[in-house]
Amino acid sequence: MYLPDFEYFTPDSVEEACQLLSKYGPKAMAIAGGTDIVVKMKKEVLAPEILVSIGHLPELKKIEYVPGKGVVIGAGVTHNEVQNSKILQEKYLSVCEAAHQMANNQVRNLGTIGGNISNAVPSADMPPILIALDTTVKIVGSKKERTLPLEDVFKGPNQTVLEHDELITEFVIPDGSFTGSTYLKFGLRASGALAVVGVAASVQMDGGVIKDARIVLGAVSPVPLRAKEAENLLKGKQASEELFEEAGVIASGECRPISDIRASAEYRRDMVRVFTRRALLKAVNEGHV
Amino acid sequence: MAKEFSYLNMKREYSYIGKSLKRTDILDKVTGRGKFAADLKFSNMLYGKLIRSTEAHARIIKIDTSEAEKLPGVRAIITAKDVPSIKYGLSPARYDENIFCIDKVRYYGDKIGAICAVDEETLYKALKLIKVEYEVLPAVFTPAEAAKPDAPQIFEEYPGNINTEIHLEFGDVEKAKQEAYYIRTDRLQGQRTLHGFIEPHCSIAYWEGKRVTIHSAHQSAHYLQHHIARIFDMKEGDVRVVLPYIGGGFGGKVDISGLDIAAVALSKITGQPVKMFYDLEEVWYNGRARHGMDMKYTTGVTKEGKILFVENETILDGGAYTGLGVASAYYAGALLTVLYDFDNYRFDAYRYVTNLPPCGAQRGHGQPHPRYAFESHLDHIAEDLGMDPIEIRLINARKANTVTPNGYEVKSYYLKEANEMARDASGWKDKKGKLPVGRGIGVGNGGFVTGAGYCMYRTDLPHSVAMIKIYDDGTHAIVYTNAVDIGQGSDTVLTQMAAQAMGYPYEDITICTRDTDLSTLDFGAYASRQTLMAGWAVKRAGEDVKRKILAQAAEMLKVKEDGGYRFGKLTPEELDCEEGIVFVKQEPAVNITFAEVARAYFVKHGVLIGRGYYHPGKLGGTHKGAAVGTSPAYSSATQVAEVEVDMETGLTKVVGTWDVHDSGFVVNPQLLHGQVHGAFSMGIGETIWEKVVFDEKGKVLNGNFAEYRLPTALDMPYVESLVLDTFEPNGPWGVKEVGEGATTPTLGCVANAVYDAIGVRISELPLTPEKIWRALKEKEAKEKGGK
Amino acid sequence: MAEFVVGEDGIKRYLVSITVNGIKYTKVVKANSLLVNFLREDLNLTGTKRACEQGDCGACTVLLDGKPVNSCMVLTVSVDGREVTTVEGLASNDKLDILQEKFIEHSAPQCGFCAPGILMSAKALLMKNPNPTEYEVREAIAGNLCRCTGYVHYVEAILDAAAASQERKDGKNG
Repeated sequence: MYLPDFEYFTPDSVEEACQLLSKYGPKAMAIAGGTDIVVKMKKEVLAPEILVSIGHLPELKKIEYVPGKGVVIGAGVTHNEVQNSKILQEKYLSVCEAAHQMANNQVRNLGTIGGNISNAVPSADMPPILIALDTTVKIVGSKKERTLPLEDVFKGPNQTVLEHDELITEFVIPDGSFTGSTYLKFGLRASGALAVVGVAASVQMDGGVIKDARIVLGAVSPVPLRAKEAENLLKGKQASEELFEEAGVIASGECRPISDIRASAEYRRDMVRVFTRRALLKAVNEGHV
Repeated sequence: MAKEFSYLNMKREYSYIGKSLKRTDILDKVTGRGKFAADLKFSNMLYGKLIRSTEAHARIIKIDTSEAEKLPGVRAIITAKDVPSIKYGLSPARYDENIFCIDKVRYYGDKIGAICAVDEETLYKALKLIKVEYEVLPAVFTPAEAAKPDAPQIFEEYPGNINTEIHLEFGDVEKAKQEAYYIRTDRLQGQRTLHGFIEPHCSIAYWEGKRVTIHSAHQSAHYLQHHIARIFDMKEGDVRVVLPYIGGGFGGKVDISGLDIAAVALSKITGQPVKMFYDLEEVWYNGRARHGMDMKYTTGVTKEGKILFVENETILDGGAYTGLGVASAYYAGALLTVLYDFDNYRFDAYRYVTNLPPCGAQRGHGQPHPRYAFESHLDHIAEDLGMDPIEIRLINARKANTVTPNGYEVKSYYLKEANEMARDASGWKDKKGKLPVGRGIGVGNGGFVTGAGYCMYRTDLPHSVAMIKIYDDGTHAIVYTNAVDIGQGSDTVLTQMAAQAMGYPYEDITICTRDTDLSTLDFGAYASRQTLMAGWAVKRAGEDVKRKILAQAAEMLKVKEDGGYRFGKLTPEELDCEEGIVFVKQEPAVNITFAEVARAYFVKHGVLIGRGYYHPGKLGGTHKGAAVGTSPAYSSATQVAEVEVDMETGLTKVVGTWDVHDSGFVVNPQLLHGQVHGAFSMGIGETIWEKVVFDEKGKVLNGNFAEYRLPTALDMPYVESLVLDTFEPNGPWGVKEVGEGATTPTLGCVANAVYDAIGVRISELPLTPEKIWRALKEKEAKEKGGK
Repeated sequence: MAEFVVGEDGIKRYLVSITVNGIKYTKVVKANSLLVNFLREDLNLTGTKRACEQGDCGACTVLLDGKPVNSCMVLTVSVDGREVTTVEGLASNDKLDILQEKFIEHSAPQCGFCAPGILMSAKALLMKNPNPTEYEVREAIAGNLCRCTGYVHYVEAILDAAAASQERKDGKNG
């Protein structure tokens, strides 16, 4: 395999990166870890004439806790950096675990969270858990900056609301009232497998009663999907396995899976039921895992 | 009646065999120093690729290379018109493949031509500029489609698209049917898989005058040499094949690939070395892996479970060309009679050609799917009779020193003992029938030939030849053999054998292999043949050296006799040599070093050389296809697997594995266990995950390691590998095989374990989570309906 | 921004300075140069293998600033100023790394094509976690596919290497 020719820029700041992207228009793309873009270029799915490197920018590399704001994760942080972050391990081990389930160790050392989101692959592992924790994203462009709920970033497979001169710079997991969260990935091999179904759940418990909940489904619709009917069912109810099964049944009705080489739509639907139940059980009983 | 002779528990102690000595190639392999084909560079070397079809079945109207030719750096583009129109293959009765397609393409990925350029980048750019115009023909992608009366004909020479048809009967099946207490039929399907070696093929050729040299990732220097000479109408002596380290083969590097042929042709035209290589996906198009098989077994047994007859009807998806496929078809039915002792057997097989990449041999050639099917079938028979699965196997297991109804002479054979040992090691009695739902245990039997009885083409050549040369001063020895180490460790095992045969230190021996100019004939690594066949040649060469050493030493040693000395009066028979010391057997204190003796020999006679060769002789019966499955020796093996199935998702995890091998004498236990571990891993992959998938145009959909899922380290359980102490009279020091046989029981044993766990049989591999999930749903629905 | 020159073909070539196995190389590469090809072709370090080219098999694993990555997915220009370790850099002055010693002792590689990648993954693991569990070892090499071995001897060798280096350390301290 080979890569076609392109030009490569190494800007010194996000600002400069955005200006380059703006200057060169759609023929330019940002590259961080490269695990997605390089493979797509080899397969001729993408053919940018210009790549603007952002993976090296220190301003995208932080993971910090800002009181009153939440946990801030720079978009250039790799999956393994997320996995190994003390802050995240303490507050949201579920996010570390999700990062840990992506691809394999070598890819996790290159692939960034920003890339995982920006590529908008329906089976991506990070979006469900981050959406379940009400994560917001900061998007910086050559002219403006904006902050959006992560949930609103995705438009379709490989499509986001980002303009071509915009970059995701950071994610904020707000201090929330969630008492537990988890991401369960169902892949066809223990490592290096894309999710057939990914289910993230977060819950806010008040004793045995569910005050609030999020259920986010990956790989079963063009974009990460909130199973809102299932969430509504849970609110105000006493937690029980029967209730979670019912939520699973509802969620499996809400998803819009396709049949592909890995699984049929019918199977994916049923796995949504199974893993929704399992995820809720885990989030309720074990906290952020 | 003569007392039954047993080859069990005969083990003896040796200096250099029966020991886990360090691999000869290991330093190269842990330092990155060892060169594989793609690592080789030659001055002025060009880079080449095949031009592949993008239609499954089509007439070639026009090939436009003009744009590509204009690209600076492109050196040559060749198509059918530039190369001999001769047909080639591996089964002489079915040479049906052209170097490049002449009239039409027969599968997506078929070879249309080849191109070479000064560097890889130019090569890839040029490849995209080549335009091929097709007249698309209707295509068939399954044997069922190929068998339809109005199906498009892929080859003129295979009417009805039937490439190979087999009808064999031994004994009297109809009569046995009348006598059977119970008869059952099962039909199961095995899928098309892939060898899954990590190193893609690569081949480099260059010419020096009338001679061509080829460096290739190949399993047999000899077959490559033979076929290149045949294809290009050259003398074999004008073709030199050098094989670097091979990054795994498993049968996928036995065929003469388009790369080898194109490298020879392009380097001739350009006058420069040409390196031809595949990207990983092209390995799928190269194919030659396990056939998809549809297998129907009908078996009749007595009340006690003794098999009276078996009827076996197998349909094989051959893909576009034959390759080794005729042998695959025969193998699909041949070896069942080796495992189980019954007299009446009918085997009918049809190998269809389809518009998919050709199938051929993959580890355990033709065996794993039939073993999967029959071992599943046998479990059902046992269940129907209320018998334990291992019990029915013990009753039917073949015994040593017997002859199968289809004419194979079986010397050492301890399948019964293997079953008993596997049963005890796995805790079978405490587990079978006692595990909770979702957990299961299963058994499977297998085994393999230890080398094929006949060359792939008709010849009277010996199968293995070896030579050992001792350095002038006797301080080092070189073993010459073109046995091919593809990772299984034949270099090490053969060096150990040379050391043992000569009585010479292992660490002072170097092995010179895989070079047709420098080393000696061997048919290469296939049919699990190297340890026995090359082993005989090396053993005999070593013994030849030792004979000369002892004769020379007899003239040099002196022993005290009645208070005096005698010089040179010893006979060689009074001497022996071990670990580099020649000594008097009656009085070992009287000795001399091998090196001193060897030097003296050199001074007197010139170079000290030992020679050995091996030919298995005439084997087998006279029926059509009788040659396939013949072998000097047969291994047997029992495997047990324990699995855990998630009853909601259908995901199977293999949690325990046990393998007991009847491999004859074991030269290097560590290497044997390594073979078993790898075979189990491949077998687990093929049972649960692996299948080559195509789209409606015949394009491979999972030509990568993300979607063609080999087991990772996290998927693999620990593998418990156990060895029966057996001795094979037809093998040097009693050896048999392990490399291929070890994969043959796995599919059956894992499938039986899954059946035990979930209580429903899935009749088609692989046992993906979704298939298990579906089967459980259907079972549930049926049970509800039943109520 | 990396310095570059423009070739006659109008394509930019970038000046990069990369430390490989402790040696600093200054080279001119095109943007489309992949690290795996740079190592194998430009530096002749062919111990790093090229196989799947899509990050699925791990045969091309090298350490980039101490972390294992698939060099088939890394642009050479992006490694400017950074450190790379390949399998050739494991042994020092002909003294093998403990992992190499244990791979030999356990006869871990068979065909050996995946061995350099597994060595690098294992090396990174032991640098980070000198006393790993079997599960951690399996996880560390799960991105390295091997068809020959079922991973059994590899896992044993890596665990043994960890134990041996712990012993050596304890011995020194004691």
